[in-house]
Amino acid sequence: MAKYALQRLALAIPVLLGVLLVGFFLMQVVPTDPAIIRAGPQATQDVVEAIREELGLNKPLWQQFGLYMWRLFQGDLGVSIINNVAVTQELGDTIGPTLELMVASLFWSIPLGILMGTLAAYWRGSLIDRGIMAISVAGVSVPVFFIGLLMIWLLGFQWQLLPFTGRGGPLWTMDGIMAIILPALTLGGVFVGPVARMTRTAVVDMLSADHVRTARAKGLNEFLVVLRHALRNALIPVITLIGLQIGFLLGGAVVTETIFSWPGVGRLAVGAILSSDFPMAQGTIIVLSLGFILINLAVDLLYAVLDPRVRLS
Amino acid sequence: MRMRWKTIATAAFGLAMALPAAAQQQPRNQITIMREIDSDRYDPHRTTALAGGEVLTMLSDTLVSMDFDMRTIRPGLAERWEVSPDGKTYTFHLRRDVTFCDGRALTADDVVYSINRWIGRTTPRVVSPVAWRAGNVKEVRAVDPYTVEYELNEPFGELLSQLTQFFGSIVDRATVERLGDNFGVQGFNGTGPYCWASWTPRSELVLTRHPTYRWGPPVLQNRGPAHVERVVWRVIPEAAARVAALQAGQADITQYIPEAFWDGMRRVPTLRTSNQENYFWDVFMGFKVDKPVVSDLAIRRAAHMAVDRVGLARAIWSGHATPARNIVNPNALDYDAQSDAMVPNYDPAAARRTLDEAGWRMGPDGVRVKDGQRATFLMYAINNLANQRAAEIIQQGLRQVGIEMRVQLFDATVAWGRLATQEFDAYILSYPYISATDALSLYWHSRNRPSPNRMNWNDPQTDAWLEEARRGLTPEARATATANIQRRLAEQAPWLTLARNQLTVFATQRVEGARAHGLYGIGIYRGLDLRVVR
Amino acid sequence: MSATASAGPVTAPRRPSAFRMLMKDTGAAIALVFVVLIVLAAVFAPWLAPKDPYETDLMSIMSPPSADYWFGTDGQGRDIFARTLYGLQVTLFMGLTSLIIGGVLGALVGFLAAYYKRLDGLLMRFMDILLSFPAILFGLALAAIFGPGLTSVIIALSIATIPLMARIVRGAAVVVMGLDYIEAARAVGMTDKRIMLRHLAPNCLSPIFVFATLRLGQVILLGSALSFLGLGAQPPVAELGAMASQGRNFLFIAPHISVVPSIAIFAVVLAFNVLGDALRDALDPRLRI
Repeated sequence: MAKYALQRLALAIPVLLGVLLVGFFLMQVVPTDPAIIRAGPQATQDVVEAIREELGLNKPLWQQFGLYMWRLFQGDLGVSIINNVAVTQELGDTIGPTLELMVASLFWSIPLGILMGTLAAYWRGSLIDRGIMAISVAGVSVPVFFIGLLMIWLLGFQWQLLPFTGRGGPLWTMDGIMAIILPALTLGGVFVGPVARMTRTAVVDMLSADHVRTARAKGLNEFLVVLRHALRNALIPVITLIGLQIGFLLGGAVVTETIFSWPGVGRLAVGAILSSDFPMAQGTIIVLSLGFILINLAVDLLYAVLDPRVRLS
Repeated sequence: MRMRWKTIATAAFGLAMALPAAAQQQPRNQITIMREIDSDRYDPHRTTALAGGEVLTMLSDTLVSMDFDMRTIRPGLAERWEVSPDGKTYTFHLRRDVTFCDGRALTADDVVYSINRWIGRTTPRVVSPVAWRAGNVKEVRAVDPYTVEYELNEPFGELLSQLTQFFGSIVDRATVERLGDNFGVQGFNGTGPYCWASWTPRSELVLTRHPTYRWGPPVLQNRGPAHVERVVWRVIPEAAARVAALQAGQADITQYIPEAFWDGMRRVPTLRTSNQENYFWDVFMGFKVDKPVVSDLAIRRAAHMAVDRVGLARAIWSGHATPARNIVNPNALDYDAQSDAMVPNYDPAAARRTLDEAGWRMGPDGVRVKDGQRATFLMYAINNLANQRAAEIIQQGLRQVGIEMRVQLFDATVAWGRLATQEFDAYILSYPYISATDALSLYWHSRNRPSPNRMNWNDPQTDAWLEEARRGLTPEARATATANIQRRLAEQAPWLTLARNQLTVFATQRVEGARAHGLYGIGIYRGLDLRVVR
Repeated sequence: MSATASAGPVTAPRRPSAFRMLMKDTGAAIALVFVVLIVLAAVFAPWLAPKDPYETDLMSIMSPPSADYWFGTDGQGRDIFARTLYGLQVTLFMGLTSLIIGGVLGALVGFLAAYYKRLDGLLMRFMDILLSFPAILFGLALAAIFGPGLTSVIIALSIATIPLMARIVRGAAVVVMGLDYIEAARAVGMTDKRIMLRHLAPNCLSPIFVFATLRLGQVILLGSALSFLGLGAQPPVAELGAMASQGRNFLFIAPHISVVPSIAIFAVVLAFNVLGDALRDALDPRLRI
């Protein structure tokens, strides 16, 4: 196991370097001179030169890359052009809300998706199966902003049931819970479909597997058969697939955060790009990429722990 | 089993019913004000953004204050003042009971430091883009701890009204020096009715009451301290979200409601509104008069005739903006009625005729051509909803007379930099002003090129008239000089006033005292009268 | 299932029967008809649209659907019906372009990986890396580099499509490569290029086709989301996501401005997804459960 983990880790390192390199070049190819932006429109040439010197922009490219790596190593991703706040600080403030939103969405969408998928698999071919699959295909086809806008329009505005204007506070407060409901429903809404489909496929496979047939033949309670033998074994691939779908969830999170003014990384990234705040954009993109490398690594390792066959192959 | 389900269902239903009430809760003694965008910083001498100013009027005080009529100057930190006969020296007598948020007493040295910082005479030097508003200063000096002499090189009739603006805010030198570049980012220390508590950029800024504040300007009912303990400035970029938040009581006050909602919101019984009639904030399109195509007077006049300003006011601002012609608002000091009549009216047929006569022939792609030059120009503007919509409508209007307008919109944070360049041919912007002199000296002096004089207007005669108006020795001389400029600009058409905005502040019934002021566009001035009633 | 054995060494897609199977599925049949209609509507938008999609009618701003304006007008008084038709054009163009660019490059990688065993490990590892990043990240990065715009979105979506297509194609090609007659072709002295074009490519067509149909839906969804965020098509271009985004500001007074383009995206993506699922069932019976 340890060997496999090390192997995967070793593979992750070049990817990591690749991401950092891309992040570095992102700042090289942007059409604007960071020193001029930093200096502001009224700055004189000597001010710009001084900033250029300070940022090391006069050095050769490889030295700049070294400098950039060294700063990164120290946790320094630069400073926002817009408000002079350290990028790491803004990221630190926004990662929490994004994770919060994602977890809250998964909290309800995964159980519901698994339930729907299991039901569909059990009664496959029936009207229930078709109904559930129709819902799930609709779920993967609907734009996440459409769900969000409908939620805001109906639940938020027409019936005034729930707030939709940003985070209400920590999740252990009533305000915090109220404020996260609509965003979590929106983001989770696009995730139920994929989970249901994956679960259905996995459970159907399991239902025709030998050990399930044996269990049935032994005359075990049908409910227990499905639960203990089919679903439990199906969960391994399902969980793995869900792990790999986190990227899909992130896409939704960026949109959801924007619609609901949720103070997360996605909204920060979009805002930074739209306002040409390049250090901030670079920082968010690097951090999000690193997040994905980690998630993939974790999912791989988890899969290996759950399913020993992977290690052997 | 069935029993348990029933219980859960009942509980869930109960929870659902409890939601609306819970969602509307706001801490007592806190008022939340919503806005669309945040400022880059809160330093009165470095920022010119309305988003900065609206908070700075709460954080700090100015020497003198502006009444709701937008003409009368009232006391502020200075309880009285004298002007020398030659109009060059102003003597301000300061109140003796003023303290900063950190408890230190205000003295004349603080005033001297702040004015000097505004006009770029302190080290490290900051560059205020609006230093000219302080007049041509010879020296500002402290005569004694409570007397400030403000000496000018030449008379400046508008000095007092300029000193009411937030650029003239008095700040604490020690805090400025301690925070350096982070002054107004990580902290602030002023003498205003509220003190800096925390700022999460692009999200929210929290102010707390200045407990010993008793020196509010006499234009407000409450002289201090403020009634509410906390003021939260929350950034909510989506207009729809602001509307709903106000209706649901999740926030209390905002002036950033798109005009399309005004009629509906005025009918909502849980909301109050406050209008300001003396509000001078115009939206305009300026042309760079030395760039190809738009340097042609015929093109500029045709553009005036191609844009339906009445329709625009109805479409973009739902009728809650005044269609405009002349540069200056008719309610503003020294508006010239005659030049109003000289500005071309909306008339697409006349626009086509004008272009035909000037030799612009229709090309095969619907864009006119003259001497191999296509009638096309590039327009820059800040990317906001009104500009987006206005640009699309203007684009369409121009296309119908054979002029192509290419549009590039920039996020507010980068737009100012781009608007200071010479990359574009025309631009849309909006701006606040106090009087004709104020409006004209901002944009038309050759010294103000390339920004804010983005038209590159370089006319010695205009400069001479402006100097005359600024000195303003007699009201008549000033009126004549500004009228001359207004007429010249009406003739030359370098500026198309699109609309005059109106100001309405919306508030929930929970709060009182949200009266619209409008100085520099700021809805709530100082915020001393704000009070939670329910 | 026994048919596979009798069909000879290659399981060629049996088009007539696949089509017949498709038509037996009511949902798929409707989806197919709908897709054809959408494509026709997009292609013939200039002739079908009753009004100019950019013409602003300042007398009817944000009017609800009426006889004059079937889907109502937007905030600038433009005909939403006309804009939706043009929007379909832009959206489909965005989707198809990125699908073709990403698909061709991805297929090339897949073929090369399957054919040249030496390249396989390297190429597919690289594809795995690309695959580990969500498409939205490419969208953000490209918009940061080139600035928001349709081009950035198309490039981002193309990049995100490459590894997916490469995997599909490699998977299919490896199976074919294992078959005897490729060996035979090699033995006869056929060039690599010829083998690839004559034997490999045709036999990978059906999975490619299925994948492309499903992917088109996803790409449209992603692209419109990026436009909705302001990172894609810029106004006044009629793009469905951008239209929904502009209408968001008037959600409470004139919901149709956002709802109409949103429903249009939903319908298009749903049609491609239903069709893709049905195609997969029809062309690749082994996947049927």
